[in-house]
Amino acid sequence: MTLISAHELTKRYPGGVVALDSLTVDLEPGIIGFVGANGAGKSTFIRILLGLLPPTSGSVTVLGMDVTRQRMAVRRLVGYMPEHDCLPLDVSATDLVTHLGQISGLPLTAARERAAEMLRHVGLYEERYRLIGTYSTGMKQRVKLAQALVHDPKLLLLDEPTNGLDPVGREDMLALVERTGREFGIAVMVTSHLLGEIERVCDFLIAIDAGRLHYAGPVAPYTEQTERLLVELDDDVPEFAERLRAEGLDVHARGPELSVGLRDDTTYDIVRDVAAELAAPIARLEVSRRRLEELFRETSLIAADRG
Amino acid sequence: MAEPRTAGAIYDLGYQPYRGARLSRASAIRNLFVFSFRTAFGLGRGSRSKVLPMIVVSVVTMVALGMIFMAAATARPSIINYAAHLSFTAFFLALFAAAQAPELIVTDRQHGALSLYLSRPMSGTDYAIAKWCALVAAMLVVTLGPQLVLFGGKVLLSPTPSVVLEAEYRKLGPIVGGMFATSCFMASIGLGIGAMSSRRGYATASVIAFFLLLPAASQIITTAATGDVKRYAVLANPLLIVNGFALWLFDIEARRRSPIARAGLPGEVYLYAILVVCVIGMTIVWLRYRKSEA
Repeated sequence: MTLISAHELTKRYPGGVVALDSLTVDLEPGIIGFVGANGAGKSTFIRILLGLLPPTSGSVTVLGMDVTRQRMAVRRLVGYMPEHDCLPLDVSATDLVTHLGQISGLPLTAARERAAEMLRHVGLYEERYRLIGTYSTGMKQRVKLAQALVHDPKLLLLDEPTNGLDPVGREDMLALVERTGREFGIAVMVTSHLLGEIERVCDFLIAIDAGRLHYAGPVAPYTEQTERLLVELDDDVPEFAERLRAEGLDVHARGPELSVGLRDDTTYDIVRDVAAELAAPIARLEVSRRRLEELFRETSLIAADRG
Repeated sequence: MAEPRTAGAIYDLGYQPYRGARLSRASAIRNLFVFSFRTAFGLGRGSRSKVLPMIVVSVVTMVALGMIFMAAATARPSIINYAAHLSFTAFFLALFAAAQAPELIVTDRQHGALSLYLSRPMSGTDYAIAKWCALVAAMLVVTLGPQLVLFGGKVLLSPTPSVVLEAEYRKLGPIVGGMFATSCFMASIGLGIGAMSSRRGYATASVIAFFLLLPAASQIITTAATGDVKRYAVLANPLLIVNGFALWLFDIEARRRSPIARAGLPGEVYLYAILVVCVIGMTIVWLRYRKSEA
């Protein structure tokens, strides 16, 4: 069954801001990475999936159910981890997660059991009886994940789960997300503004930019597209870029620094051969990842050029 | 529940999906009601959250027990006075509403927990209903509770309990109805103001200001105005509304020279005032949370 199916989904806010612009996408179960710069419309999309925001036009179904007409049925089967702080501080994690499990429809005993299980899953043991106000940011993020899992959802929506965490915390959280997706067999949609961070754990990637669908498909082709070879020459050799372009490579030159689109391994061979022919010493060779924002900017520039 | 198990993983059953029943939306509302009711008394919360509710509970109980003790010591059962208890403790009841109404609804918004509820099978209206009922129920504990203690005291102190029980029995209806109306009144004020505030501290301050400033305004109007305005100005004071309502309910003459006696309004007016305030408060809360659905 299709997990999420959006058709011409548009959300225009009263101020005239278009958060989503005729988004059409079909997603299958798995771990889905959802990338886009801040303000690209990721949170808007999630809020629409939960029936918290009505779309301006278009339609979207989750697990085969229409989100505007079967809102409550959808929410029963979806777990949501908000981006912002959302935990009351004056309750223990066990009490909160149990309570929220009951709100999602679990009977008390089941809610208690599952709350304990999920808190253990996210790595909270004895701490779970303490008030949440005494927790570190990392522990709070874990509680947020546990509350999204307590009612055994079929789909987990995680909005920037690594926000506010230090590098180690980010790694841990992503490993946890991956384990949840793989071992539990729960479909996960995880958003991030950092592609490099979530690509490792995802099967599938969608990228949106200013509310428009930029990419939807497997992870590998997209990340290759974002990888570039940085070539720094000892001296400015203008022919170098020309020769590479003649080989069909995408080259941006700025003086002795060239940024070359990484097609496959032959790209290295071409660079090596050209350098040998022109007797141009290479000072530095590095694979770099373009940031998402740069990628969007370049593609929109290309689109503008074509237009 | 038969998960495929491998020989090496005897103790690790893997992930167990939930296959039991999923309860209705009504049970979710009931659950939020119970959770919030407990929160109103700081149960399941940190020790600091218990301080104020416990103060209020002990004050209203002590006043009731004090009345019974005095009546027993002086052998004058008339000291046990339902209406007097309500006017003695009205300030503490207002304090309870001022502190706990924001605790119930403002903190969820302030800390973002509201989105955890609304992303579950629960609408904004469901949420508002649960919270309103929870605060009314909590207020009932501190309003009706001590009244029932007084009732019990009055019956048991008498040498002929059965006779007194028969006489007092007729008052049980007004006591329950009156305390219910008072609870709704104060809960509606607290939640109505709370629904409009972004922070808990502001909300509490606003509710206290509401209960302190309006009496002052009422006094000024009473002094300055003449005729009907002067008489009806008493309704600007929420504590006097409760007071006047209680006097009318128990059919007690207001003390001479008291503001209520001077206003001389028909008793039903106080009931209408309470109803109007309840409707306004509930509407504000409902409008605020119905929107949260979107």
